[in-house]
Amino acid sequence: MHWVVAVPMALLALSCVYPVFFTVNNALKDNKGYILNRFGIVQDPSVQNFVDAWGRAHLGEYLFNSVTVTLGAVVLLLLTSSLAGFALAMLRFPFRRVLFIVILASLMIPVQVVLVPFYRTMMGLGLINTRFGLILAYTAFFLPFCVYLMTAFYSRLPREMVEAARMDGATLLQIWWNIMLPMGRPALLTLGILNTLYCWNDVLISLLVLQKERTVMVGIAALRGEYTTNVPLLCAGIALAAAPIILLYIFFQRQIVDGIAVGAVKG
Amino acid sequence: MSQIVLNNLSKRFAGVEVLHEVSLSIEKGEFTVFVGPSGCGKSTLLRCIAGLEEITSGTLDIGGTRMNDVDPAARGLAMVFQSYALYPHMTVAQNMSFGLRMAHRPKAEIDAKVAKAARILQLQPLLDRKPAALSGGQRQRVAIGRAIVRDPDVFLFDEPLSNLDAELRVQTRVEIAKLHQTLGNTIIYVTHDQTEAMTLADKIVVLRAGRIEQVGTPMHLYDDPDNAFVAGFIGSPRMNFLAANVTATGLQLGQVTAPLPALATTLAVGQQMQLGIRPEHLDQTDGVRLPVTVEVVEHLGATAFVHCRLDSGETLVAEQRETAARPGARLDLHFDIARARLFGTDGARVR
Ligand SMILES: Nc1ncnc2c1ncn2[C@@H]1O[C@H](COP(=O)(O)OP(=O)(O)OP(=O)(O)O)[C@@H](O)[C@H]1O
Ligand SMILES: [Mg+2]
Repeated sequence: MHWVVAVPMALLALSCVYPVFFTVNNALKDNKGYILNRFGIVQDPSVQNFVDAWGRAHLGEYLFNSVTVTLGAVVLLLLTSSLAGFALAMLRFPFRRVLFIVILASLMIPVQVVLVPFYRTMMGLGLINTRFGLILAYTAFFLPFCVYLMTAFYSRLPREMVEAARMDGATLLQIWWNIMLPMGRPALLTLGILNTLYCWNDVLISLLVLQKERTVMVGIAALRGEYTTNVPLLCAGIALAAAPIILLYIFFQRQIVDGIAVGAVKG
Repeated sequence: MSQIVLNNLSKRFAGVEVLHEVSLSIEKGEFTVFVGPSGCGKSTLLRCIAGLEEITSGTLDIGGTRMNDVDPAARGLAMVFQSYALYPHMTVAQNMSFGLRMAHRPKAEIDAKVAKAARILQLQPLLDRKPAALSGGQRQRVAIGRAIVRDPDVFLFDEPLSNLDAELRVQTRVEIAKLHQTLGNTIIYVTHDQTEAMTLADKIVVLRAGRIEQVGTPMHLYDDPDNAFVAGFIGSPRMNFLAANVTATGLQLGQVTAPLPALATTLAVGQQMQLGIRPEHLDQTDGVRLPVTVEVVEHLGATAFVHCRLDSGETLVAEQRETAARPGARLDLHFDIARARLFGTDGARVR
């Protein structure tokens, strides 16, 4: 490769890789070792910070919360958005376009604007401090985009396939489960990965809904003291929190790259 | 009793009426072909029968039962779509068995029916393949197989051959004809290709702009068309139409005077008419003589299409077995006035 391309690319890659290195490197130091040598390579590595983060800082429990909530929200998002996408793209019913536009419009409302009414609603429904409440909250906030993408994706599939299934005697739910869901795989994978990231990394909504229990990102944020911060412990927490996502990325690398193309679908 | 009866069936899309009070009856076991130019409403009519489009007004009866509001799957029909509409993520066997599986039929019955359809259509070696790994003709057969498996009273085909190349089209056409002979089901078949209509149909329904122009056997429509549209649509190359003027002695065609054909109607002298002459009827040596200039000769092997121009400027095509025609040369064409058909200037047949 020509150096004009290679050098900037290498710098870009470095800027992504260095923070990871920094985090893991410092997570293996003790606090004293960190203060004496912030940027140097760790001298005598120890996993004590990881043990502390997992146990004393409760990150183990928090990770479990995060996994439950993320998994629940993503599954719910994928099921509802493919159902909605199927209906909006393939079925004819009154006010279909209006409904689609309303869903599109709700994409443009930032979370911060609706925080107060959102919180009151959650209170009213008794969903504060429940994982189920957080699952519903994530689903509600991320659903419009998912519905939009699934509708766009399904619109490109031939309607005749659905008609053939209707002639074959399949009910709408059977058509959805047996045809639309498997056909939607590429788009659903993209949405699954994206939403996993969103839900996992979220602090704001989680902080509001789960006040006693915590998700891992909130837990990490709480590791920062007001005056002093145990940076190696924080680094260990960050590494623990990031590990599942990095694993996910390594596992689904190809689908993620393919998925970027799905995102380019026109509506 | 007729198996399918349409009575004044109309269809409107968002205020635009595309089918106007269509009435038709189709007998059990009959091979009916809907034919007409693009956009005339063939597919819409078929989809109304299938239940994929709602009927705006009028009635549809199948097997003596009112079907206007019956679910598509409960009408006893199976449909083969133009795009085949196979399920891409399922194997051939899964595609064919889909309807039965959705109805929770016993596995033994499903396997038996799929095996039978596969045998009829010679699909056995392909049962485990996905549609993407099939050729166009094979996909077509799978789509037909999916219909056969459902054991319907009526098959609906919407332009099933239009995605195939010319050779395969002829081959598949013959296979569909054989299939009809073996299974004996009622078939409704949509095409814009008059050759398919002529070769396959027991009964042809010619549609134009959402109206039925004429219904009849292929030979009936060919010999005795009700109007110039049907006469022009059925038969290939299409019928030649020449302006004709009624005189005291006969029909004036440019410089030529032809005798009046035998008619039940009396014509007024001076009346403007159109005389329809089929290209294949211009291959004889006696009868009314038409002097022409040859413009183009297309040799097809057994026959040739001779494109000519009359002295009046009108063009016509003659289909001749052995032709001496050379481009630019003068030629005398002859036709038998009894085989020509007379139409009014509005296109209506004058008998
Ligand atoms: N869903 C629809 N909404 C509005 N108009 C429609 C719809 N479907 C068909 N039409 C109109 O109805 C008329 C008949 O369409 P149809 O598809 O039945 O024609 P066709 O005879 O099958 O033509 P082709 O040979 O091109 O398939 C056309 O003018 C078409 O524009
Ligand atoms: Mg059509």
